Amino acid sequence: MSKFKKDGSRPMPGVNTSSLPDIVFMLLFFFMVATTSKENDPTVKVESPVGDKTTDLTPYKQRSEVDFLYLGEPRNPMRAADFKMGYALSLDNVVQPTVDGLYTTNAVAQWKKDKFDQKPARMTAPIESVITCFKADRNAPSGLIFDIRKELQDINALTIAYAVRDNGNI
Amino acid sequence: MAKREIEEINAGSMADIAFLLLIFFLVTTTMDKDQAYIRSIPKKVEVSTPVDVEERNILAIKANNQNQLMVRGKIFDDPNKISDFVLEFYRTNEKKNDPTNNFPMYSRISTSAIDQNIATIEAEIEQMEEAGMKADVINFKYNQLDEWEKKKRALKLYGANELPEIHVQANIRIEVQQATAYSIFAKMQTEIEEAIFELRNGECERLFGMPYSVLKRRYDQDKKADDQAMMNLLEILYPARIIEVTPKK
Repeated sequence: MSKFKKDGSRPMPGVNTSSLPDIVFMLLFFFMVATTSKENDPTVKVESPVGDKTTDLTPYKQRSEVDFLYLGEPRNPMRAADFKMGYALSLDNVVQPTVDGLYTTNAVAQWKKDKFDQKPARMTAPIESVITCFKADRNAPSGLIFDIRKELQDINALTIAYAVRDNGNI
Repeated sequence: MAKREIEEINAGSMADIAFLLLIFFLVTTTMDKDQAYIRSIPKKVEVSTPVDVEERNILAIKANNQNQLMVRGKIFDDPNKISDFVLEFYRTNEKKNDPTNNFPMYSRISTSAIDQNIATIEAEIEQMEEAGMKADVINFKYNQLDEWEKKKRALKLYGANELPEIHVQANIRIEVQQATAYSIFAKMQTEIEEAIFELRNGECERLFGMPYSVLKRRYDQDKKADDQAMMNLLEILYPARIIEVTPKK
C-alpha cells in the first residue's frame, strides 16, 4: 500500500555544487563586460539632473578625448563656506576653491593644459576638440559654469559637454 | 608495484575565488554611462560692434535667480513647454513665409541659383588668386564654396525643386542668471535637443523612411558617406544654433 513511504534510513544526498564556479564566473564576465571602471570618487557631492536625447561619451572616453570636472557641494559641510555660493570644483579629486582662486590661479585652465600635455601619443585630437565634461550637481548655480567656460575659452578648449542622467537610452 | 593514481586537485574553493573577483568588479565599476550634451564655446574674437539680429530671429529662453522661466516675454511654470516654443519657432514659417508674425523667415533656393552662386565664388577666387590676396581671405571664400557644394548635394538628396532653409541668423538663446540651478539649465538643453530631434526625425521618416535615432547611431558607428549626406541634409533643414549667454555679474 504505502508505495511512497519514506525509507527513513537513507540520508539526504548533498546538493552538487560543482557547477557553482561556472555560474559565478559567468556573472563575473557579465559584469566585466557590461560595466566601466569608475574614474574616481569625486570629493564633491554630485547628483546629476535628468535629461533625454543625449550623446554617449563612451567612444570619446575610449579615445581619452574627454576630461571630467565635478561641481558640487563639498562632502564636508563645514567647508561649504569657503567656496563661492557653497559649491566647490573638483579637478581630479583636488577640491579647488571657486571664489577668487579660480581667477587668480586659473586653476581650470592650468588643469586642462596639464591634462592635454599628458595625453597618450595615440591621441591626436587638437585641444579644441577635446571635450571638457561638466558634471554638476542639480542645484549648482549656472553662473559658476559660465566662469569655468570663460577660462576654457581663454585657452581655446572649445568643446564642452553637460552631463545629465539619461534614463531612456541605456 | 601497483601504479598509484594521481589525486584530483580539489576545486572546491574555485567558487570562492570567483566570488571574490566578482565582488571586486562590482565595487570598482559602475553601470551608468556618461551621457551628455556636447556643445562648443565660440572662439574668442574681439568684436567692435555687435551684429544686429532681427528680433524675429531670436528665441530667448530665460531663467532668473528664482528659477522662473520666460520665453519671448511669456512667463510660465512648466519647463516641458520649452520644446513647444522651439517647435513653434521652427515650424511657423516653414511652409509659407508670413511677414506679419514674429518668427524667422525661410528662404527657398533652387539648384540653378546654387549653381550661379558657386560660379560667382569660383570666379571671385580666381580673381583674388591672380591679384595675390591674403591666404585667409581666399580660404574664407573656399569655405563658402564648400558650403554651397554641400547645399547642392543636400538639395539633390532632398528631391524637391527648392531647399527650404531657415534664416541664417535664426538662433536659440539660453539666458540664465548667476544663481539659476544647473538642473534648469540642463532642462533647457534637453528641451531644445528634444525639439530638434523631433523636427529632424519627422523629415528623416518622410524622406528616408527610418527614424533619426537609427540613422544617427549608424553614422556614429560606421561613418559612411551616404549616412553623412543624410545627416548633412537634416542639419541644413533644421540647424541647431544654440547660444549660451554669459550671465551678468
